[in-house]
Amino acid sequence: MSVRDLKGNGRWWALAGCLLWLAFTFFPLYWVAITSFKSPLGVVGGPTYLPFVDFEPTLTAWSELLSGQRGQFYNTFMASTIVGLSASVIATAVGSMAAYALVRFTFEVKLLTGVIFVVVAFGGYLLGRHVAGFGQATSLIYAFVAALALAIGSSRIRLPGPILGNDDIVFWFVSQRMFPPIVAAFALFLMYTEMGKLGFKLVDTYTGLTFAYVAFSLPIVIWLMRDFFAALPIEVEEAAMVDNVPSWRIFFGIVVPMSKPGLIATFMITLAFVWNEFLFALFLTNSRWQTLPILVAGQNSQRGDEWWSISAAALVAIIPMVIMAGILSRLMRSGLLLGAIK
Amino acid sequence: MTRNDPIKHFFIWPALLIVLVISIFPLIYSLTTSFMSLRLVPPIPPRFVGFGNYAELLQNPRFWHVAWTTTIIAFISVALQYVIGFSVALALNRNVPGEGLFRVSFLLPMLVAPVAVALIARQILNPTMGPLNELMTIFGFPNLPFLTQTRWAIGAIISVEVWQWTPFVMLMLLAGLQTLPDDVYEAAALENANSWQQFWGITFPMMLPISVAVVFIRLIESYKIIDTVFVMTGGGPGISTETLTLFAYQEGFKKFNLGYTSALSFLFLIVITVIGLVYLAILKPYLEKHK
Repeated sequence: MSVRDLKGNGRWWALAGCLLWLAFTFFPLYWVAITSFKSPLGVVGGPTYLPFVDFEPTLTAWSELLSGQRGQFYNTFMASTIVGLSASVIATAVGSMAAYALVRFTFEVKLLTGVIFVVVAFGGYLLGRHVAGFGQATSLIYAFVAALALAIGSSRIRLPGPILGNDDIVFWFVSQRMFPPIVAAFALFLMYTEMGKLGFKLVDTYTGLTFAYVAFSLPIVIWLMRDFFAALPIEVEEAAMVDNVPSWRIFFGIVVPMSKPGLIATFMITLAFVWNEFLFALFLTNSRWQTLPILVAGQNSQRGDEWWSISAAALVAIIPMVIMAGILSRLMRSGLLLGAIK
Repeated sequence: MTRNDPIKHFFIWPALLIVLVISIFPLIYSLTTSFMSLRLVPPIPPRFVGFGNYAELLQNPRFWHVAWTTTIIAFISVALQYVIGFSVALALNRNVPGEGLFRVSFLLPMLVAPVAVALIARQILNPTMGPLNELMTIFGFPNLPFLTQTRWAIGAIISVEVWQWTPFVMLMLLAGLQTLPDDVYEAAALENANSWQQFWGITFPMMLPISVAVVFIRLIESYKIIDTVFVMTGGGPGISTETLTLFAYQEGFKKFNLGYTSALSFLFLIVITVIGLVYLAILKPYLEKHK
């Protein structure tokens, strides 16, 4: 019996609370599952709860769904899977590298460099767009390249003014997440359309959607992984450094295996975010790479109160994540997610 | 301790470039349009109006109403999520019977698409055919207007938020609880500190940094709520459950008033930044005290 175990009555109160929350958590999921097996009459006649007892389950909704009468489910499902997996793998990899760098290495960016970047990017865009008469995309690309080059160049020379450290860079990354997604989504749509006119098709493509999702997952990945990396004992890395192991091998050979729990949790959160994301998919896709949330939301406006078919469609979006939770629980039980930090 | 090594550039540049490319365009685009009068339907040539859009918005009572509604939804739901999430995480951390099962099943709501959750909520909250109506009828309150009367509708949205996002709070706090050292509790038990004292004296202060982070994330995310409200009430009745993002959507994509929408989104950004800064400023002394 360890100190962590609850003793006496507390144990049963805690159990009662957990069971109550379990019921609250599961009822909606149970409800949508049984509704998808109801017949139209079984829905309209009032609430029924137990299959075979107070209603006769049918497979109508599911056969309609799987036979393709309710839209391109197979295609949409594959698009969601491919985009979701690749975006979260890329975001987790790129984001944890950045997070590690921000925990272990010293970064010093002069505030003036940042100001130069923003001013040149804005000024270049306005000049290109309204004075030189370039298109939106062209002036934006020129402005971006010029701003980046000037900013990097200016960081080489001595500039006065305050210096931003690692915490400020983390704050900048995380603050990207504060930006209201609705305007980002619409502005991205306009940028993608402009890029399409230049010959790079990005609207309704794999690249365009994945790229957007990676960018919008990165802040959360960096925030979460930074905490995990900061909690790792630095002594192991210091020992490796004494032996002259190069930094990249310290990261991939020592740090990544040690932070598997954090990486897996972060990957899961990112995947759930991308899989369920609505707004970006709405603007950046239209047919080929449309994702499940769009299709599910469409069921509502198209079908009104046809709850049996709405429920089946919702379940197609829900079930893969439930399976993922199951896999994760196995990982947890095998100790991958628990013991590794200690 | 941080060190200096040229390889740091290799580590940080991929993330930096992606975020710069994807975030700078929306920023430039919407900041420049927020100072212009720009409509797509009917198409009129863009005209520079300075702070006109902002002034117009600040005088619009609808903006204040929407901001207030969003604030209520965000604060109440995050407070509930934190209290419930912390309690459940504590129970799970203390090896409640069946802990393995709870641990997995409690995470489920977080993984369900908000659009799907909203559709399920509509079914359950249906005033004539839903199961909640049947339950309330037993208690003698038939046909309550769950989604068509302001107070009920806001309550319904908050419940859905709590249902969906408490697992996130729980997951993060549980991960934090598991890193707490056992020996502090052993020492406290030797001193005969009861569980209540142990919680306020040890657990809560040690969990403060991660709590601050989790509540911050949830608060910011809650302010951006749209899909749940969109499917459940559509902002109704009237505009009484309309949130900031939904307002922006209505202005931008029903009226195609881009300048106004961009200004709105920047005001939205300012509101969120102010709330975030105030929140961090209030909590900073406590965080430093317990370092």
